[in-house]
Amino acid sequence: MTEASLIGLLEATVSFGALLYLAALGEMIAEKAGILNLGVEGMMAMGAVTGFTVALHSGDPWVALLAAVAAGAAVGLLHGFFTVVLGAEQVVSGLSLTILGLGLSAYLGRGSVGRPAGAELVGVDWGPLTDLPWAGPVLFGQSPLVYLAVLAGFATWFVLWRTRLGLAVRAAGESASTADAAGHSVAGIRLAAVAVGGGLAGAAGAYLTLSLTPQWVEGVVAGRGWIAVALVIFGAWRPGRVAIGALLFGLTLALKTRLQTFGVDFSPILLSMLPYLLTVGVLVVISIRSRNRPSPSPAALGIAYRREER
Amino acid sequence: MSRPVLVRREQVLRGGQPLAFGIGLCVALLVGLVLLVGSGHDPLRVYGRMFEASLGDPRAWSVTLNRAVPLGLAGLAVAVAGSMGLWNIGAEGQIMAGAIGAAWIARIGGEWPSPVLITAMLAAAILGGGLLALGPAVARARIGVNEIITTLMLNEVAIRLVQWLVHGRWKDPGSHNFPLAPMLPDNARLPGLFERAHFGVVLAGVVIALFGVAASRTAWGYELRVAGSSGATARYAGISLERKVMTVLILSGGVAGFAGGIELSGAADRITEGLSNGFGFAGIIVAALALMRPSGVAAVALLFGAVQIGGQSIQTMGVSSSVSTILQALILFGAIAAGVLSRYRVEMVAGEATEATG
Repeated sequence: MTEASLIGLLEATVSFGALLYLAALGEMIAEKAGILNLGVEGMMAMGAVTGFTVALHSGDPWVALLAAVAAGAAVGLLHGFFTVVLGAEQVVSGLSLTILGLGLSAYLGRGSVGRPAGAELVGVDWGPLTDLPWAGPVLFGQSPLVYLAVLAGFATWFVLWRTRLGLAVRAAGESASTADAAGHSVAGIRLAAVAVGGGLAGAAGAYLTLSLTPQWVEGVVAGRGWIAVALVIFGAWRPGRVAIGALLFGLTLALKTRLQTFGVDFSPILLSMLPYLLTVGVLVVISIRSRNRPSPSPAALGIAYRREER
Repeated sequence: MSRPVLVRREQVLRGGQPLAFGIGLCVALLVGLVLLVGSGHDPLRVYGRMFEASLGDPRAWSVTLNRAVPLGLAGLAVAVAGSMGLWNIGAEGQIMAGAIGAAWIARIGGEWPSPVLITAMLAAAILGGGLLALGPAVARARIGVNEIITTLMLNEVAIRLVQWLVHGRWKDPGSHNFPLAPMLPDNARLPGLFERAHFGVVLAGVVIALFGVAASRTAWGYELRVAGSSGATARYAGISLERKVMTVLILSGGVAGFAGGIELSGAADRITEGLSNGFGFAGIIVAALALMRPSGVAAVALLFGAVQIGGQSIQTMGVSSSVSTILQALILFGAIAAGVLSRYRVEMVAGEATEATG
């Protein structure tokens, strides 16, 4: 194992970790407000195709990123309309959103297959920091979206746990009727949370097609949306722990293509099962521990709130 | 200022669900119309072709029926759990686990008489699917672990398990460098029925009918519904919730596994990682549209089968297969909305007043 290959592994770990983190943060925000959205995979696909297409036509990666965020938020709001406004079953609506997003992205992207990217989100100039050994490439040679993911993590933590707005969001996810009685609009909060969550999933999708592998192919999301859903539980609905989980799961993604280079005789396919199995394990541990203490899961998660039926 | 609110109807609209389904279908076809015009196709010709290819003649029916088999069984699997208020999101993985079980038997029983081999394969398929659901079932019943997430996670594990087998242990030495399992022997294949339809259509129909009877006419089905609507009532009536949750989730996994066995033996040449091509997820939609009732599952599965087969057929006209995927999702969204409106009506109320008194 050479130094260069180890640096490459860490670089990829941070890169994949940030991708998962963006999507997982979005899902966490929605779940904190009480909405389970199993449409992450579809929202990411919509972000990915929108980002790529807008980059083709505008040539500006930042405009493309904004468009991807908007597309993610828009399809997220569709889930919001069905689950919050109509009070439909969240599991069913979310899965339909995944199917719709995968289909619609394939439809919209059918002219972009095989075309070179119109623009890419390239590294930020950190000056001399980039030349540092190890830290240079691993921390300062990354796509701007990696730094945005870190910023988004801090912002999420600050807003959710240090502001009145965050208190209202968490109240909507713990006990909607209490939040309502306190004068908050549960519907408004939940819709906003789902939209923000969709926007972050859209950004994660754009990361795929504007940074990671700048091209569009159908199925580019490749199950990473499900990992994001898993991460929220793995990280017990805390931005910091979700970040640690994102790096860990990012490491398994980064290792997948590198096991052979490191001379490790272990199937990369079996390795890729690890995030899912770990999440099941963590969920079991959480459940056993929550017999004696409160569960980290938002109490009203998945339950529709009808104001008129309080 | 007034705003619209949903008010529960005193009586659910009669025939609400089939109506909801119809409305969903209309919404989907209308949006599909826009997509087709947008990509420069004649929508009427495309829809005509879809109908012809899926329901136009006996041969089309046979292909659609074949497709309805995994959709219906996956839908039944979800509905069995759903009738108790449990979500089995893992049918996709359980189908794969069932196929693994069946494929394993086919590997060791190549010389057995066909009926014996196929019976053993299907039994192994049920076991495989049930086994994958065992963990989530025990975890849910004993320590209350949310089954939505555990079953969802195991999907990805099962799909990768098939990948791993096909890339390694089960790789056909004759397939050169392609990671392919060997073809199934002839005696491992379900007999035909008519045209392209295989015997799995009958098996699936019987199983769905059996569950339909069990759900509506037996004490077991009644207990499930009681347990699903209120845990407290169930305990009062002496129904053991823990055991019910466990058996229902394992049974649900077994039904999905059965679907995997039938799909392998009836429709596939060999086990591949793409064997369950989203059937498990589509099954959730089928079950939701059928309101978790086995009797509705068969009808919805047939319609979804027709949409999928019709969607495949229009690819020769240059229409992207994604159009059929979009149609399926839109049918559901349309039906969800219509389903809600059959139970609720929209009323305008003075917005500010309720804010103040609420």
